Amino acid sequence: MLGAECVVPGAFRVARCGVRHVGGSILVALTLGVAHTAVAQTPAKIVVTSATLKEGETIPRQYTPDGRNDSPPLTWTAVPASAKELAVICEDPDAGNPPPFVHWVVYKIPATAKGLPEALPIDAATKMPADLTGAVQGTNGFRRAIYRGPAPPPGKPHHYHFVVYALDAPVASKPGQPPLTRAELLDAMKGHIVGQGELVAIYERTGPAQPEAPAGRGRGRGRGGN
Amino acid sequence: MSEQSKLISRRDLLRGVGVAGVAAAAGPVSILSTPDAAAAAEPAAAQAASAAPREAFENLTAVEADLLEAIVDRLIPTDSLGPGAREARAAHYIDRALGGALASSRQAYASGLAALDRYAQASRGKGFLELSASDKDSVLMDVESGTVTPGIFAGSSAQFFTLVLNHTRQGTFGDPYYGGNSNFVGWDLLGYPGVRTMVTPADQKALEAGQLKPNHRSAYDYEGFNKATARVESHAGDMKHGD
Repeated sequence: MLGAECVVPGAFRVARCGVRHVGGSILVALTLGVAHTAVAQTPAKIVVTSATLKEGETIPRQYTPDGRNDSPPLTWTAVPASAKELAVICEDPDAGNPPPFVHWVVYKIPATAKGLPEALPIDAATKMPADLTGAVQGTNGFRRAIYRGPAPPPGKPHHYHFVVYALDAPVASKPGQPPLTRAELLDAMKGHIVGQGELVAIYERTGPAQPEAPAGRGRGRGRGGN
Repeated sequence: MSEQSKLISRRDLLRGVGVAGVAAAAGPVSILSTPDAAAAAEPAAAQAASAAPREAFENLTAVEADLLEAIVDRLIPTDSLGPGAREARAAHYIDRALGGALASSRQAYASGLAALDRYAQASRGKGFLELSASDKDSVLMDVESGTVTPGIFAGSSAQFFTLVLNHTRQGTFGDPYYGGNSNFVGWDLLGYPGVRTMVTPADQKALEAGQLKPNHRSAYDYEGFNKATARVESHAGDMKHGD
């Protein structure tokens, strides 16, 4: 069998191990040597908490369109010392076409930041808090570069993952570039994630669902219930 | 939120207006003004409001008219680029049209405006008129995205938002004959030099240099497209100038 890869835990990936039957004997072709391609190690575990969100529990209305739709406060610890920047993504794997539906993207967060305060600005004119200087809110599933909270269709609770990433290099961005989407950010972070952690909370709505708006009219693409 | 990311920018809006050759005049500023800009504009607006007696609306109730004025004021706000939908009297355009060309939308306005106010009260704890500019924008974003609490709008809140936005654009950038674009503020905002039956090479050069003076004339100021014709057409074909 060819193709299996041998991985030495906590170290570089070793080159391919080949096992092949030859004339009734087994030839084990072990290609020695260490792969030259750099492979990211398993990211360190970041502990994500919140003063108002609790793991596995319902998100307070304040952080949804049923309330003020403020962004929730987040805090984190155990960020690796090698971190140069942090990023946060809030996503709902129970919605989106394809999933997940993205509610929030924040990147270029200084590595010294200990969290995000409640209610980040929703307009460009209002500055980020001083300890978040340079942080950028990326484009969410509603095509807005701000937080928009859970609004799942009635029926079942959705899970909202607030994921914090520690990066060993700054996210590259060009002047005038639109705020990154989740996909663009993940691409930019590839190979640079040295720490990761998440807090998962849920939200459910009851009552009649809103009728679908006509396609392309004021709705985020690929929304599919969020 | 950075400039490039806004779902609806003033540039998008100008593109939607369909006035050729004027879109480049606008900068990438949000339709939804910043709180700072709104705060700067508030004293002037308040002064104007206190100085001018309230004008009667023909079709909307006073409550509906106040809500609609507040909404259009956030959709195309007064900002550093110039006057917005309030100065253009877009709400008056809509009110007037709801008795004619847009009559079929009257019920949508009645239920939609009431629902929007109920949603503001339920989600933000205050009626829409009492909210800060930022909170009004937040409410409107939720209405636009169709994420308002289920059961508050009879139909799709996103459809209602689109209806009002389209009519606000018409009332701000349409021909003043229809009751909006007061004092040609919408066309001036776009840099649109006005309806012309003839454009000379000198006019064209002046336009391209940004020096063509707007003529501030309605299409109906010209022979051959008179107001009587327009009135008949606008009443005969419902929604012809609307939706």
